Amino acid sequence: MWKKIKWGLAILALVIVGLFLHYTLPQRDVVQVINTYNRVTQIGGNWMFYSIEDTGTGVETTTTSRDIRFIDAVRANGTSTVTYRNEDTGWFWPPYFKWNSSTLQAEATNLQSDKADPQWVAITHYGWRLPIFSIFPNAVSIRPVEGPDVTLIPWLNIILLATLAFLVLMIRRMWLQFRERMVDPALADVGQTFDAAGARVEAVQKEARGFFGRIGAWLGTWRARK
Amino acid sequence: MGWLRLAFVMYVALTIIYFMTGIYSRSVRREKLEKEWDTDPAREGAPVEERRAFISVGMEQYEKGLKKRLLWLIYILPTIGFAMTIYFVNWT
Repeated sequence: MWKKIKWGLAILALVIVGLFLHYTLPQRDVVQVINTYNRVTQIGGNWMFYSIEDTGTGVETTTTSRDIRFIDAVRANGTSTVTYRNEDTGWFWPPYFKWNSSTLQAEATNLQSDKADPQWVAITHYGWRLPIFSIFPNAVSIRPVEGPDVTLIPWLNIILLATLAFLVLMIRRMWLQFRERMVDPALADVGQTFDAAGARVEAVQKEARGFFGRIGAWLGTWRARK
Repeated sequence: MGWLRLAFVMYVALTIIYFMTGIYSRSVRREKLEKEWDTDPAREGAPVEERRAFISVGMEQYEKGLKKRLLWLIYILPTIGFAMTIYFVNWT
């Protein structure tokens, strides 16, 4: 039972970490930009998936609505579309330090093309599109690519995940070293103290035979401990 | 002012990490020295003071060594990482 609960919690933690990384790490889509525009957007309970207020992205009309830049694009298959928001990220999470959303919007508009003569671009973004909560991935950079089926190797993600794995391993090793050198010797000390106490109790029990022996043993318990 | 807050929080966190890694690294070195002494058959039965002196000399060497200086990378690498992110996201 406990084992199952433990496993369940471990899997849940892994899923949460995985989703968090999937949201935060950059991904690249090969798409064709079909439209770029601004739209006053209502922000309510989904604020967590937009930039924090003081990043100076677009024009904040009130705290609950914001003028946000968007980029519409279509994937290589020609039918499935993607909508990116284009917001500065500010100095907090996620740490992209993007302040050039105006420039990015101009670049996206410059690379806009129609179906007859498509210009394929790789858009780096993070985040998800969840229509039910009105959240959009945030575009980070855009660059032209040769064709719709170009292969992009996610070097940055490889490096970041390797670094993360290394950090986890180091934390584990540090913890094990700490336990081996600090915790275990301290526990051994406590164990020895208990053993010594046990031996004294036994000795006292041995002495406590007969009436006088018992009285002597009882008196003995009042003697100063060594 | 956002960058000041971030820099402050980051360097406080990195300082904590720096000291914890320093303790770890020192502990690993001490353990290595202890094992080196304890597994050397020529030193069997040598007095405890000699062992203590051997370890303290080894630790002094560690304090002056390259490995301890490499710990500064804990500050340097994240700073480079942040600077590179800022450059590549905004200027290329």
